[in-house]
Amino acid sequence: MLKIKLKMAILTGFSVLTLGCSVNETVTVVVQDDGNLTQTIESNSDLLAENLMIAGTKTAFVGDLLKAQVEIKNASDDRLSFQYKFKWLDKRGFEVGIGSRPWHPISITPYESKMVQGVAPNPSVNSFTVLVQD
Amino acid sequence: MKFIQVFIVIMAALALASCSTKISYGDATSVETTTTGFGSTDLQTIAEKLVDDLITFPPIVQMTSERRPVVFVDKIKNKTTEHIDTESITDTIQTKLLQSGKFRFVDMTTVQAVQEQMKFQMDSGMVDSNKAAAFGKQTGAEFMLYGNMSSIVKRRNDTKDVYYKFTLKLVNLESGIIEWASEKEIRKSSEKTFFLN
Repeated sequence: MLKIKLKMAILTGFSVLTLGCSVNETVTVVVQDDGNLTQTIESNSDLLAENLMIAGTKTAFVGDLLKAQVEIKNASDDRLSFQYKFKWLDKRGFEVGIGSRPWHPISITPYESKMVQGVAPNPSVNSFTVLVQD
Repeated sequence: MKFIQVFIVIMAALALASCSTKISYGDATSVETTTTGFGSTDLQTIAEKLVDDLITFPPIVQMTSERRPVVFVDKIKNKTTEHIDTESITDTIQTKLLQSGKFRFVDMTTVQAVQEQMKFQMDSGMVDSNKAAAFGKQTGAEFMLYGNMSSIVKRRNDTKDVYYKFTLKLVNLESGIIEWASEKEIRKSSEKTFFLN
C-alpha cells in the first residue's frame, strides 16, 4: 500500500513539473507582401492548449511597425492564470530582439476572452507567434 | 517498525538536501513573483508598454517617418517608499527606442568622461590634430523624456496590496510642449496562507 502511494506521489510530482515547464506556440501569424495574413493555430495536447482558444487576430502597420492584437479565449469552466509573450520574426524567419520581450502574467475567467497586444520592436518584422506557458 | 525506518530515511534525505547549494540559470524574462516589491517583470512590462505606446502614437509615427529625433533622458522621480533603480528602467526604455530605429539619444551621464577624452585629444599632443574630435560639434537634444513613479501600499491582516503607477512624458525642449505621455499601472497582491487552516 505504501509502495503504491509512493509511486503515485512520484508520478504526480513528475507530471506537475512537466506541466510547469510547458511552452506552447498558440498561434503564428505571417503578413504576406500583399497584406494578407497566413494564420497557423497550434493545438498541442498540453493543459493550456486544450483550454485556450484563439478567438481572433488583428494586425496593422503603424508607420512601418507591425502591430498585433490577439484575442485569447478561456474555453474551460475554470479560471486560468498563465503567461504569454509575443515572438517577433523577420521575413527570413529570424527572431528579432531575442530575450528582450518579457512574459506577461494574465488571468482569464471561465468562457471569457481577453485581448493581448504587441508592437514589433523594429520595421524588419513581418510575422509573430504568441507563446503561452503555465 | 518499517514505517519508522522509512521516516528516518526520508528525514535524513531531507537534511542532506537542505545542506546542498544548487545553482541554476533561469529565464530572465519569466514572470517573477517572489515578493510584492518592484521586480524584474514590472521593469520589463513598464518598458515594453511605454515604448510600444510612444512609437505608435500617430504624431510621433509621422515625425519619426521623416527623421530620427535626438532625445535626452532625464531621471525618473521615485515617489514610492521603496528603493527602486529608476535609471535601470530608463536604460531599458532607451535601449528599446534605439533598437526601434526611431530615435537617437544624447547621454548626459558621460559628459565628464567625454570632456576629458576630448581634452586629451586636443591637449596631450599624442593625437593627430586632423583626426581629433573637435569641440562644439555635438548635437543638442530636441526632446526630453522624464517621468514619475508612485505607489500605494495597503495592508489588512495577512493581505497586502501594492499599486504602482509609472508615468513617462516627452517634452519639446524648445517649445516646452508635452508631445506625448503615457502611463503603466501595475497591481500586485499577496496573502499569507498556511497549509493547516
